[in-house]
Amino acid sequence: MSEAHEILEVSGLSVDYVLAQHDVRAVDDVTFTVDQGEFLGIVGESGCGKSTLLFAVAQLLAPPARIAAGSVKFEGTNLVGLTDKQLSAIRWRDMSVVMQSAMNALNPVKSIGAQFKDALQAHGKPSKEEIATRSADVMRMVGIDPVHLKSYPHQLSGGMRQRSMIAMAMLFTPDLIIMDEPTSALDVVAQRALMVQIKELQQAYGFAVIFVTHDMSLISHFSDRLMVMYAGQVDELGDTRTIFDRPLHPYTQGLLEAFPSIHGPRIPLKGIPGSPPDLAAIPAGCRFHPRCPHAVERCTVIAPDLYPIDGDLVRCLRRQDGSLPKADQHGSLSR
Amino acid sequence: MSELLKAEHLTRHFKVGGVLSRRTLHAVDDVSFSIGEREVVALAGESGSGKSTIARLLARIYQPTSGQIYFEGKPLSAIRSRRDGLRYASLVPMVFQDPFASINPVFRVQHGVLRILKLHRPELSAKQRVDEAVRVFDVVGLGADMLQRFPYELSGGQRQRVGFAQALAMRPKLILADEPVSMLDVSIRIGLLNLMAKLRDEERVSILYITHDIASARYVADRLIVMYAGQIAESGPIEDVLSTPKHPYTQLLLSAVPDPMAPLSEVTDRGEPPKVIDPSPGCRFRWRCPLAIDTCSAVTPVLAELGPAHEVACHVAQAGADQVKAFS
Repeated sequence: MSEAHEILEVSGLSVDYVLAQHDVRAVDDVTFTVDQGEFLGIVGESGCGKSTLLFAVAQLLAPPARIAAGSVKFEGTNLVGLTDKQLSAIRWRDMSVVMQSAMNALNPVKSIGAQFKDALQAHGKPSKEEIATRSADVMRMVGIDPVHLKSYPHQLSGGMRQRSMIAMAMLFTPDLIIMDEPTSALDVVAQRALMVQIKELQQAYGFAVIFVTHDMSLISHFSDRLMVMYAGQVDELGDTRTIFDRPLHPYTQGLLEAFPSIHGPRIPLKGIPGSPPDLAAIPAGCRFHPRCPHAVERCTVIAPDLYPIDGDLVRCLRRQDGSLPKADQHGSLSR
Repeated sequence: MSELLKAEHLTRHFKVGGVLSRRTLHAVDDVSFSIGEREVVALAGESGSGKSTIARLLARIYQPTSGQIYFEGKPLSAIRSRRDGLRYASLVPMVFQDPFASINPVFRVQHGVLRILKLHRPELSAKQRVDEAVRVFDVVGLGADMLQRFPYELSGGQRQRVGFAQALAMRPKLILADEPVSMLDVSIRIGLLNLMAKLRDEERVSILYITHDIASARYVADRLIVMYAGQIAESGPIEDVLSTPKHPYTQLLLSAVPDPMAPLSEVTDRGEPPKVIDPSPGCRFRWRCPLAIDTCSAVTPVLAELGPAHEVACHVAQAGADQVKAFS
C-alpha cells in the first residue's frame, strides 16, 4: 500500500485524567498513522489505555480526561483544539465510531430508521426519499432486511444490533471507522460473521478501520497492522502477520500464549502473571518488567524507547541490544 | 467414575406474551445428561441456547417444568425443608459471570466468605472460620491480606477467584460456573482455567463449566455438551467431539473459533439461533443446516450413541454418514 496516503496521523498523543491528588497519564506519547483503506488492530489488556486512545482520536474525551500533548491530524486537519461545531461537521460524515455495546449506544425508544434519519439530517437537508433510500441501502450492506428500519433496538438480536450500528456508521461512507470491541458481546459464530462482514465492506468501500480488542486471535486474519499497547504506551507496532509469526516484545508473546487452541496437543499454559500496573503507580524502567519472564536488572532502571527492529517498532531493551534469544515461532521462548 | 448428578428429560418452559398472545418459550427441552465425580463438564452453545437456564435449574433457582434432577441418587424434588435446601446449595454452589456485580461492594472481601462459613458450617468457631477463609483463599491463589480488601481494590481476575473461594468454603461437590472467565482479559483467563483444573484435581470438585468459548472448554474440560436451541446437539469426551464433530452445528461452532495459527476457514453462515417459541417438531438447526433432509423438518432427532460415549442428535449423522461435513 505504498501509494495509499495517510488519512490519520497521531503524533505524541498523551491523555491525562486530572484527579484531585495527582494526574494519571492513561495514554503516553502514542504515535501512529493510518493509511487510506487500512485495517489497524489495537490490542491490550483492560486498563492499558486503548479505549482512552480511541476516545482521544475521536475527540470524545470528557473531563476529567484531557489531551495533555500531541496532535491528531485527520486528513490534514489537527482535530485537537477544534470547536464542537467544527468537529460535528467531520463526525459521522468523514469519521464515525462504533461503540462496544450497541444496546447502550442505540436509543431504546426510537426505531432504527428514526436514528438513521437523525444522523442524516445532521449533515444537510436530505429529502424523505433520499433518507429512505440511503437507510435501506446501508441496511442491505450489512445484510439486514430494510424492514428492520421500523424495528426498535430491543426487537433485534445482539448481532443485528451491532450490524445496524455499523450500518449507521456507514451512512455517509466515511473515510475512517473507529470500532471499540464491537464483537465482545457476541458469541463465536456471530462474531466471525461480523468480522467477515466488516472486512468485505471495507474492501468494497475502501474506508480505514481502527479496531480495538483485547482478543488478539480475533483480528489475526483481518487486520493489516497491529499495535500492542501496555500501560498507556505502544509496546509493539508492525505488520499483523509478522507479529503473529514472531512476536518480539515479551508482552506480545505472553498475549499470544495466553489463549488455548482447539488444534494440536493440549499444553498447559501459564498466561501472564500478575495484572497490568495501576496507572497512578507506574513501575520505573520498563513498565512491563514486574511481569516479564526475561527482565534483567537494567529493565528496572532504564525506560526503553520504541526501537525499530526487523521492520517493527518494539519497546524492549533486551530485544534492542540482542540479548533476548530469538523466538522464530510463537511460544518457543518460554514453553 | 461414579455419577454425581443426573438430569433426566429436563424441561423448562417460560410463558411469554400477554393474555391474548400467550405463548410458550421452550428454553430447555427434554435434556438428559450426567456429571461424574471429579469431572469438568463443559456446556457450550450460543447465547439463548439454554445453557444458563440449565445452571439455574441445577441450582434450584428455577423449578423444572418437567423432568427430574438427581443428586447423589436422590431427586431434587424431594427437597422440602430449608435445611435440606441449604445443604444442597452448599454442595452445589454457583459462580457467576460478572465478578463486578456478584460481590457486595460495601463490605470487605472476608464478609462474604465468613458469612457463608457461618451459615453453612455452623460447627466452626469464629477462629476456625477465619482459618478456613485463609485456607480457601490460599487454594484459589489469593493471599490472606486480600480478605481485608474491599472489592473495588481487586482486579477482575482476583474477584473471580474470590467467587471460587466462596464456593469452595462450602465444601462443594459440584460448582456451577456460568461463563466465569468471559468478562476477563485473555491474559487473566488462563489463570482461572488452571484454577478450575486444580479444584478438580486437588479439591476433588466437579465443575459444570458453561461457556461459549470452545477453546477454553477444551483446555480444562473432560467432557463437552453442545447445546442448540434448548436441546443437546452433541455430547461426549471432549477430544472425541472436537476431533470428529458429527453434528453440523458443532462443526459450525468449531469453524468459527478464531485461530491465528490456522488459515481462515470459509464460514458463510450468518444465521442466528431461533427463538424456540411454540416449536413444531423437527430438528431446530435445519434452517441453518446445509445437509438438512426431509426427515429433519418432520421428526425431532434424539441423541444416539455414534462412538464410545459420543452422542449426536442428527438424522444425517445417524443415517451412517461417517463423513458428515457441513462446515470444515
